[in-house]
Amino acid sequence: MTLIHFVVLSLTLCAIGVYGVLTRRNLIGILLSVEVILNGANINFAAFAHFRASDPAAGAIFPIFVMAVSGCEMAVALAIIISMYRRKKRLDVYKLEELNG
Amino acid sequence: MMSDLLFYGLVTTLVLLSLLAVSLPNLLHGAIALIGSFFATAALYIMLQLEFVALSQIMLYIGGIIIFMLIIILLTSGLGQENRYMVKGRRRAAGAGVSALLLIGLLLTISQPSETLQKATLRAAPVTMDDIGFRLMATNKNGFIIPFEIISILLLVALVGAVVIARRDNGQEQES
Repeated sequence: MTLIHFVVLSLTLCAIGVYGVLTRRNLIGILLSVEVILNGANINFAAFAHFRASDPAAGAIFPIFVMAVSGCEMAVALAIIISMYRRKKRLDVYKLEELNG
Repeated sequence: MMSDLLFYGLVTTLVLLSLLAVSLPNLLHGAIALIGSFFATAALYIMLQLEFVALSQIMLYIGGIIIFMLIIILLTSGLGQENRYMVKGRRRAAGAGVSALLLIGLLLTISQPSETLQKATLRAAPVTMDDIGFRLMATNKNGFIIPFEIISILLLVALVGAVVIARRDNGQEQES
């Protein structure tokens, strides 16, 4: 259990999340994959705070900010998804083309 | 080593549950797998002696964000049946290829780590909850008071904005 293990773990989680973002067709599924990516990033912060930090408290505080921002993101996403579902009755990203140029 | 065994078990659980969360066709099952992966992450934080982060992971992610997500799934798609949006196998393979390329690239980047990174097993003194609380509220140049306050305003704005967006407009703006 060294720092390099944790870095590899968080890179794996990042790749898993990117796979989910690329293959999900549902808007909620994409949000869920983004949470996996953020989880990997938080693990990285925590591992660097534990193993090599001149200032470990900062590394412990940053994941908490990430969680708070992620909570904001979910609240806004809930609102957008509900209003979009009310209009269209579907959340398929291939069919949501209103913002096309 | 007992702790190494525990670490590898937790990592395997975490990766498998995350894979399930991004690939299960039913989103409700995916969100439940994500709950499991967040519990495994909290256990990893406890192994890193960061109890405060582990607690807030459980309270914020599992108690808040995943519940939000389950509510969205249940409100929109009839018990999470999203099987009607089938993803083609070719697109799935393309996504897997891109993410595997990304993973290989990232692993190659850190495959030649510096000595300090490789030998980084020495621990700093464990961070206590007191430390975190004082640092969050400190007003000197190492303190985090400004991001803390900005986050609180951001949360307020996001919640008010969410209410405004999700409010049912009285049939005037229903163009489509």
